[in-house]
Amino acid sequence: MRADENNLARLMRLSQQGDKQAYATLLESCQRWLRAYYSRRIAPSSLDDLVQETLIALHTKRASWDATRPFLPWLAAIARYRWVDHLRRLYRADEHELHEELIGTDDEPAVAARISLDRLLGLLPPAQGRAIALVKIEGLSIAEASEMTGQSESLVKVNIHRGLKKLAAMIEKE
Amino acid sequence: MTMPRTSDALIAELVDGLEPVRPLRFGEGLLLALGAAAVSAVVVLGIYGLRYDLAAGLVDPMHLVATGLYLGLALAATVTVVVMGRPQVGSDHTGWRWAAAMAGLLPLAGVIVAAARGTSVFSPGSMTMGQECLEVGIGSSLLVFGMLVLWLRRGAPTAPGRAGLVAGIAAGAFGTFTFSLHCPANDIVHIGIWHSAVVLAMGLVGRAVVPHLVKW
Repeated sequence: MRADENNLARLMRLSQQGDKQAYATLLESCQRWLRAYYSRRIAPSSLDDLVQETLIALHTKRASWDATRPFLPWLAAIARYRWVDHLRRLYRADEHELHEELIGTDDEPAVAARISLDRLLGLLPPAQGRAIALVKIEGLSIAEASEMTGQSESLVKVNIHRGLKKLAAMIEKE
Repeated sequence: MTMPRTSDALIAELVDGLEPVRPLRFGEGLLLALGAAAVSAVVVLGIYGLRYDLAAGLVDPMHLVATGLYLGLALAATVTVVVMGRPQVGSDHTGWRWAAAMAGLLPLAGVIVAAARGTSVFSPGSMTMGQECLEVGIGSSLLVFGMLVLWLRRGAPTAPGRAGLVAGIAAGAFGTFTFSLHCPANDIVHIGIWHSAVVLAMGLVGRAVVPHLVKW
């Protein structure tokens, strides 16, 4: 089933009423949507975990969607929240060794440009956005990112730290 | 919930555990907060009584303007918190700031007037009365605060820190509005400093406490 707004909203309405068949279809569609949404924004090794975390969040917070409002911006808000939380956890755990190889195609569902994660990254100062993209998304080490950007290693770390704080702060603004 | 090995297994588990839910409605959240504010007002006025001039059907302009600004801030912040409980990309959560900026004129004016008079804001008489307003104002805000936290816990705030700050401000503004219906002071120094302190204190409490309570 195509993951378009009307279909998803209808399935979610039925799911809130306890329709398991509709819910299974909805979660399948959401899973595909989330895979496409995250595929170029996190390391491939983290993709399954993040998609599953977001599906669990969707499940536990399904009452927070109101049938009078569109579905995809609701799902995107939850997805972005989990994404930033994921990046922050990576930062706290100081896990800099992510896979360089990226998978996925550029077939993000046709939702409004404003819910794009790239747009969110683009709102950061260029040095911060680039440091996050290189280290947290493309999986380069701090040293490699430092060499590539011309920033010192400590500046790369500072830019990641500040950038993630800003991302968390503006997650609902855009 | 433990993370199953595959997404398909997870989906099967989630579908199996599906129960009907009642969607969070904007009106329900608003009624919850306004109901709590009304109960708080009844309790506080039952204990302390209505201001003498209001009871006599009279109004003081300074009191009217100040309580109106606090009420406006309380309503604007409450609406924001209710909206924040229901995530949506593109939602605007900044409207309360304008109300806060207007209410912020009260403490500013209080400090300026106190400085112009050359009197201390912290004189013993001022402190005694001010502390009562601070304590009862905070007490008056707790029920609203609890209801807003409950709402956020049921919802999915994607900016928990900001939601906590705004919930604290909403509750504090309702609390200070409620106690203003009793407090006989019409002095801008007292109102601006001590009544605003309730809002500030509750905002700080909300910012510090709520993120831990609503994390999801």
